[in-house]
Amino acid sequence: MTLTLSGLSKTYGDFELGPIDLEISNEVFCVLGPSGSGKSTLLSLLAGTADPNRGSLAVDGRSMSGLPPEARRIGLVFQDGALFPHLSARENVEYASENPEYVSELTRLLAIEDVLDRRPANLSGGERQRVALARTLASEPDVLLLDEPLSSLDEPISRRLRGDLDRLFETLDVPVVYVTHDQRTATALADRIAILRDGAVAQVGTPTDVLEHPASRFVAEFTGNENVFEIRIGTDENGRHGHVGNTALRSEGESGALPWLDSPSAVSAVTVCVHPSRIDFREISSSEKPAYQIPVIVERWLHENDTYRVFARVAGGPVLTATMSRMAFERLEFSRGEETTATIPVDSIHVLERVTR
Amino acid sequence: MFPTKSDTDSAVDRFDWLSVTLLLGGVLLCYYLLPLASLLLSQPPAAILGQTTEPAVVSAASTSLVSATASVLVATVFGLPLAYWLAAAEGRSETLVTAIVVLPLVLPPIVSGMVLLTLVGPGTVLGDVAAAKGVSLTRSLIGVVLAQTFVASPFVVITAKAAFESVDRNLEYASRTLGKNRLTTFRRVTLPLAWPGILAGITLAFARSIGEFGATIMLAYYPRTMPVQIWVSFTTLGLEEAFPTAVILIGIAVAALVFLTTLGRNPLAR
Repeated sequence: MTLTLSGLSKTYGDFELGPIDLEISNEVFCVLGPSGSGKSTLLSLLAGTADPNRGSLAVDGRSMSGLPPEARRIGLVFQDGALFPHLSARENVEYASENPEYVSELTRLLAIEDVLDRRPANLSGGERQRVALARTLASEPDVLLLDEPLSSLDEPISRRLRGDLDRLFETLDVPVVYVTHDQRTATALADRIAILRDGAVAQVGTPTDVLEHPASRFVAEFTGNENVFEIRIGTDENGRHGHVGNTALRSEGESGALPWLDSPSAVSAVTVCVHPSRIDFREISSSEKPAYQIPVIVERWLHENDTYRVFARVAGGPVLTATMSRMAFERLEFSRGEETTATIPVDSIHVLERVTR
Repeated sequence: MFPTKSDTDSAVDRFDWLSVTLLLGGVLLCYYLLPLASLLLSQPPAAILGQTTEPAVVSAASTSLVSATASVLVATVFGLPLAYWLAAAEGRSETLVTAIVVLPLVLPPIVSGMVLLTLVGPGTVLGDVAAAKGVSLTRSLIGVVLAQTFVASPFVVITAKAAFESVDRNLEYASRTLGKNRLTTFRRVTLPLAWPGILAGITLAFARSIGEFGATIMLAYYPRTMPVQIWVSFTTLGLEEAFPTAVILIGIAVAALVFLTTLGRNPLAR
């Protein structure tokens, strides 16, 4: 199955979504964006609960234009589940399918067999979403849409369901469009991510693309990349060089080289980003990939779930953030105010903006 | 220095507001019940029983029951679609249509009767066309139903509109994305969830119909409904003669309301 959006757009007052052009095949496609970016409007257009002003939508070449929601075979899991409150969990799932064997299979797959006789009011948040998912899958949709199904759940439940969703998506042979504002959910589940900002697609790519090569400062910051900083470009007798704060950028093997600066002539500064996972605090050998060694002072660190987030200041420059495992952090035996060296592989520098003279 | 609560604030917090609401509400409740109790106690049971076999009273009671039931059926069949549309509609048209629906509620019933006479009374186009086909739109059961429907149907529309509005729109969308069309969605999702509110509207409309007097007496003095019969007894025989019939009307109304209430099971209760 392939879901094709061609110039799809919708206007609500001052807000305009699109035009959006996308082709989504049998993959998990996450639409990631902040509140008000148009995520829910996009889902409404796909599900048929709202009509676009312009553009078209097709599933495997079959146009959806003018088709009501019931004729589209596009299933939608709502943010709060939207379970029918007057029906039991079993009746909710059976509402979408007259095939009792398939219903049984789905209830087993989503581990809701024990709650089937309960009304939605007597289900936990996680159970409600599992029932909602079973109900949508029971309708055997050609395309599966999910509207932030984990957003109202507590973190432990959300994390468990995220894992279950990941396994479930692997078994599905349809395009899955998953809308969320949570970067962790998107990167955990998606084959591809589209970043939505003010109704427009800011970037489409794999999670690695989006995280390590953001198309703009907005994408970098929205996806949780705190290492957005400026490198000043100068010239001396050895050629061009960069400075972060008071520190000249040098790399093993290729001292002073700025290979990421593709058109250096008139550029006086660049804004770059480095994914926190690419920054390390260890000596590197000459056999390793070229890297910058930048003196820093360790200011503080945060323990978040299974990872550590270390904040280290470059003299006269930005605070760099590095993420690492607990084991790696404990091996470093940091103390606050400690002077150390941050290692940034040259190929992990991603240029966002150029300032020309 | 943190601000502290004044003595007055503390006294206000301690004051039992729930008891005050109960007291005020209780006074109103007594105002409803005491006149009814007073009427019932003032009437000898023999006088009431005697009236139950009186042909004029029996005829009026059956006319009231049949006409009120018919009026509520008409109001429901035509009112529910309008209420559903109003619940889904937005903007000026919805406000305008709602105002039109409320209009019969704000008109004095006797004026409603006069208005209807200008539309379906003798000498009007509709009245004459119907009469030519042998159907009388005044001084007939149809006339009673027309009068009652005019004054009572807004209760169905307004209450059902509120009931439909209370149903989460996403539930309807969910049903449709599961492959169910509008009609199935309405039948299996919207209607069951809105049913208690709709039934409240039907009950109010029935109560309004069975007690309708002003419009009915203008449009259809015959066949007599219970309120018209009470008025006739009052004007021809005096107040004392009208009381037993009034007690019977109260009995019929209460029995009908109890019956309708039993139909209103909350769909969310199990």
